[in-house]
Amino acid sequence: MKAIATTILVVALISTTANVVNAKGDDFNSVVKMIEQFYRVKHVGLPFLAKAGMKVATTAARIKGGEARRIAEAGSIKLAVFEDQDFNGDFIKFRSSLNEALNVTWMPLVQTLSATDGEQVYIYLQDAGEKTNVLVITIEQREATVVQVTLSPKNLALLLKDPEGTGKAITQEATINDQE
Amino acid sequence: MKPLFHINFRTPLLALLLVLAPALVAKAQDSRIQMGGLDHLAAKASQTVDVSIDERLMRLAAKVFSDKDEDEREVKQLIANLKGIYVKSFEFDTDGQFVAADVETIRMQLRAPGWTRLVNVTSKKEGMLEVYLLMNGEQIGGLAVLHTEDRELTVVNIVGPVDLDKLAKLEGQLGVPELGIEPTKKTKKEDEK
Repeated sequence: MKAIATTILVVALISTTANVVNAKGDDFNSVVKMIEQFYRVKHVGLPFLAKAGMKVATTAARIKGGEARRIAEAGSIKLAVFEDQDFNGDFIKFRSSLNEALNVTWMPLVQTLSATDGEQVYIYLQDAGEKTNVLVITIEQREATVVQVTLSPKNLALLLKDPEGTGKAITQEATINDQE
Repeated sequence: MKPLFHINFRTPLLALLLVLAPALVAKAQDSRIQMGGLDHLAAKASQTVDVSIDERLMRLAAKVFSDKDEDEREVKQLIANLKGIYVKSFEFDTDGQFVAADVETIRMQLRAPGWTRLVNVTSKKEGMLEVYLLMNGEQIGGLAVLHTEDRELTVVNIVGPVDLDKLAKLEGQLGVPELGIEPTKKTKKEDEK
């Protein structure tokens, strides 16, 4: 009996660890799916965005009147965009589900909500050794974006000093239509 | 048989640790104010800001702020030894969207032993400003700021050793709002007897 109990304990521990690792790797997609299910919307894939003339990580953002600079590390951007769809729903409930899903593997930094115009912005951080992963979720009345990028320590310092401003700049950098 | 012996020996220890861990964490976070009682206000607020910089993030912040950059060096010194910064702020389009009972959920916690309201603090902003310090013996264990206006409610909670001068310097950094806090003279306690 002891041997069976020990085996069960070991298997349970291994499967718990595996689930955590798995969740960590798929959090970006999980958030996208969560938005789709909660608001009954569909995101636009990257190939479509490319056709529409949107490019990823090609612009430099200007933060707080400072010098224009790239924020995200090259090649680190994951982006999902939801366009021209309704995001009507109980945002307090959504926020609660989101925090519950991400709080194990991500650290919430700042969350801003507006009951008047329905805007929600969530910024989460994840320690990735020398660098840091940042997840920025922006939901407005008719559109939403989910952006995950990797930041250098220098740009993480910028984000920590001015979370709202830098969070917006990260989303801009990932989604701006580069016509310049 | 040996591995079984080890497991049998460790399991009660593990269970004991699991039982004690929350109590130990709670002890270390005495100056953390619970702000969840205000969450329902988000449904009425034109703007809700919720900043949460816990101990893990504080350690991360301390690593990334540069000693070479004067501005960052100052922030790095300010946050050294802090265990967390938490801010909840609500702005409303009309008066009367929050009631005394909402504010009381915060004040009630600040009446706990160790917390002292400071009276020598003013703000450039309108409304009512209350600043509280948690003293652990001679040491400051944390700070809380409660700012209310007709259409605004802000709570700032800094966990760890921080004084008013430092708080004023943290305004506008790390999600701490601009409260226009101005310490006047040397700190005096309102309830000094």
